[in-house]
Amino acid sequence: MELLQISKKELLEFVGTLVSGPLDVFGVVAHDGRFAYDKLDSAANLRLDFDETLYSPKQYLFPPKDPVLSYTPGDAASCAPVYAEKDQAIIGVHPGDMAAIAMLDKAFTENKIDAHYCTRREKTTLVGIYPTKPGKYRFTSSMIKPEEPYLAADAFLIDMGDDSYTIEIVTDRGKEFFSASAAKPATADGKAKAEKMKTAVKDTVTLKIKREDLPPFLDGKERHPVWETRGAKCFSCGSCVTVCPTCYCFDMLDELDLSFDYGLRFRTWDACVLEPFAVCAGGHNFRTKAADRIRHRLYRKQKYLLEKLGLAGCVGCGRCKTACVPDIAFPPDIDDDLLRKEAHHV
Amino acid sequence: MKPKVAFFDFACCEGCQLQVANLEEDILGLVNLVDVVEFREVLTGSAPEYDVSFIEGSITRPEDEARLRDIRSRSKVLVSYGACAATGGVNKIKNLWGNIDKVKKEVYDKDAAMPHLETYPTKAVHEVVKVDYFVHGCPITRSEFLKVVKALVFGTTPDIPQYPVCVECKMLGNECMYDKGGVCLGPVTRAGCNAICPSNNVSCEGCRGAVPNPNNNAMHEVLAKYKLSVDDIKRQFTMYALDPEVGK
Ligand code: SF4
Ligand code: SF4
Ligand code: SF4
Ligand code: SF4
Ligand code: SF4
Repeated sequence: MELLQISKKELLEFVGTLVSGPLDVFGVVAHDGRFAYDKLDSAANLRLDFDETLYSPKQYLFPPKDPVLSYTPGDAASCAPVYAEKDQAIIGVHPGDMAAIAMLDKAFTENKIDAHYCTRREKTTLVGIYPTKPGKYRFTSSMIKPEEPYLAADAFLIDMGDDSYTIEIVTDRGKEFFSASAAKPATADGKAKAEKMKTAVKDTVTLKIKREDLPPFLDGKERHPVWETRGAKCFSCGSCVTVCPTCYCFDMLDELDLSFDYGLRFRTWDACVLEPFAVCAGGHNFRTKAADRIRHRLYRKQKYLLEKLGLAGCVGCGRCKTACVPDIAFPPDIDDDLLRKEAHHV
Repeated sequence: MKPKVAFFDFACCEGCQLQVANLEEDILGLVNLVDVVEFREVLTGSAPEYDVSFIEGSITRPEDEARLRDIRSRSKVLVSYGACAATGGVNKIKNLWGNIDKVKKEVYDKDAAMPHLETYPTKAVHEVVKVDYFVHGCPITRSEFLKVVKALVFGTTPDIPQYPVCVECKMLGNECMYDKGGVCLGPVTRAGCNAICPSNNVSCEGCRGAVPNPNNNAMHEVLAKYKLSVDDIKRQFTMYALDPEVGK
C-alpha cells in the first residue's frame, strides 16, 4: 500500500478545492454538541476528531427515501429506472463504518446486482479516518477484522498526533483523488509511526465472546428468556435499525402525482423490529411479537450475516445504545444477559 | 364521473378543514379529481348522497350522533379526518376527569345546566358509526390528506403508517428529544406527519394517536434512563388523552 503524508492545513486546503468543485462532498461536522455527517459547504466545518456520529454514512449510499422508478399509470412502456447521477466523496469514515459499507457492498451484489445501490456506489469515493477519540460505546475491534475496512475504502487517513495525517492509498480511485493534493510520499519513520497510531485509541467496550464464536454461541438460544424480558420493554420504534451502519432492509412506496399523469416509486428504509415489517400477503404477520423481532435483529447482527457473507452485521459503533430510548438494544448488553442467564436456564 | 365528496364538522376547531381549504396550488388538482358538493368553509349547497364523506370533529351530544348516522346512511365511503374525529383528540381530555358534571361546572360554571350546553363524554367518529378510512393528526397533514384522496379515487387502499414517529424522525437525521432533555411520545405515536415536531425541536405530543399496539409499559425504562418523573410522562400524554400506564 502506498503511504503519503500531508499537513492538516494542506488537507483542509485540498478539501476546500473539492467543496467548490463539481463533487458532492460529505463529512462530519459539529452538531449541537455532538457530531453528524452533512454535506460540506466549507472545509472549515470538517471535523476529523469526532468520537461518534449520530447517524452512519450509509445514508449516502442507501438513502432513507430514494426514487428508483418513474412511470405513467397504465402505460407499462413508460417505466424507467431512476439512478443516482452525481459523483460524491465521503471524508472521515471510521473503520467500523467502512467495514459496514464492505458488508453492504456484498449484500447488494450477492446473487443479484442491485443496480441502484451499485450505481451510487461507483460514483462514491470513500476516505476513512482512524478514530482520534474513544467512542462512548465503541467495540469495533471485537466485531471486525483489521483488513475488512480496506474492502471498501479508497484511502484511509491516520492522525499522526502532530500537525499531519498519513494517507494510506488503497485503490486507484483513492490515488487519483489525492493526486491534486499537496500530499508527499511518507518517510520510513512516518510509516512505522502510522501503524502504531492506528491502534492508539482503544475501544471502550469489549465483547466477552470472540466474533467467530458468536454463531455457535447463539445456536439454540432462540427460546432464551432474555428475548421476552427485553421484548416487554421494546417500543418497536426502529431506532436501533435506522441508526445502524449495516442495516439495509427496505420497503417500496408509490407516489402518484395529483394529475395521475406520472408517478415515482421509492425505496424507503424499513426495519425488522417494526411491527408491520413481516406483514405479507393476506395480512398475515409472521413475527407479531416484539420478543421475536429483537431476537431476529440480534441474530442478524451476530450470526446470520456472519454465516452468509463472512462479514458481521454489527461493527460495534455503539449507536444503537444511544438511540434506543429504553436502552435494550445494545448487542454487548444482550450477550451479557445471555451469558449470565445461561447458568440458570440450561 | 367524478366522485361526489362532502365535508362535515362536529366538535372541533375547524383547523382541519382549513388545511384542506389551504391546499393552495393542489386545490385545483383536487377539484379535477373530485366534485366537492358540500363544504361549509368554502361553499354553500348540499346533495342527497355522497361517494365520500369527510368527517371532522368529535361527537359530544346526542343530536351529533343522529346527524352523523344520517350522513353515514347517505355516504358510500366515510373518512374520519383530524384527531378530533379519528381519536377524540383534545376533546377527550374531559373524559379523563371521570365525572361529566364536574367538567360542565368547570367550563360553564353557573350556566352549566342550560339545555344548549348539554354534553356527554367525547366519542371519536368510529365509536358511533363505521369508519372506512382515517386521516390522523391535529391538524391533518395536507400531503397525507391528498394521499388518501388519491388512493380512494384511484381505487387503492391508502397506505397509512402503522409504525411510530421515531422512524420518520430518524430518517430525517434528527437528534432525539430525549437526549436534549425532552419527553417525546414519538415511540408510541403513529407516524405520517414526517416527525414535524421533533424536526422543529418540539417533543411529540401524540396528536396522531397511538400505533396499533403501543408499548406504553416501556415508559418505565425511559423514566430510569433519562431520570424523568412519572408526572413528566403523564403530562405529555394528557394533551391527546393517551394512556401512559406509568403510574400503575
Ligand atoms: S448493532 Fe448497534 S453497535 Fe452494532 S453496528 Fe448496529 S448500531 Fe452499531
Ligand atoms: S430495541 Fe429499542 S430502538 Fe430497537 S425497536 Fe425496540 S425500543 Fe426501538
Ligand atoms: S384535529 Fe385539531 S386541528 Fe383538527 S379540528 Fe380537531 S382541534 Fe382542530
Ligand atoms: S425525538 Fe421523539 S420521535 Fe424522534 S427518535 Fe426521539 S423519541 Fe423518537
Ligand atoms: S410529531 Fe407527534 S405531535 Fe407532532 S404532528 Fe407528529 S404525531 Fe402530532
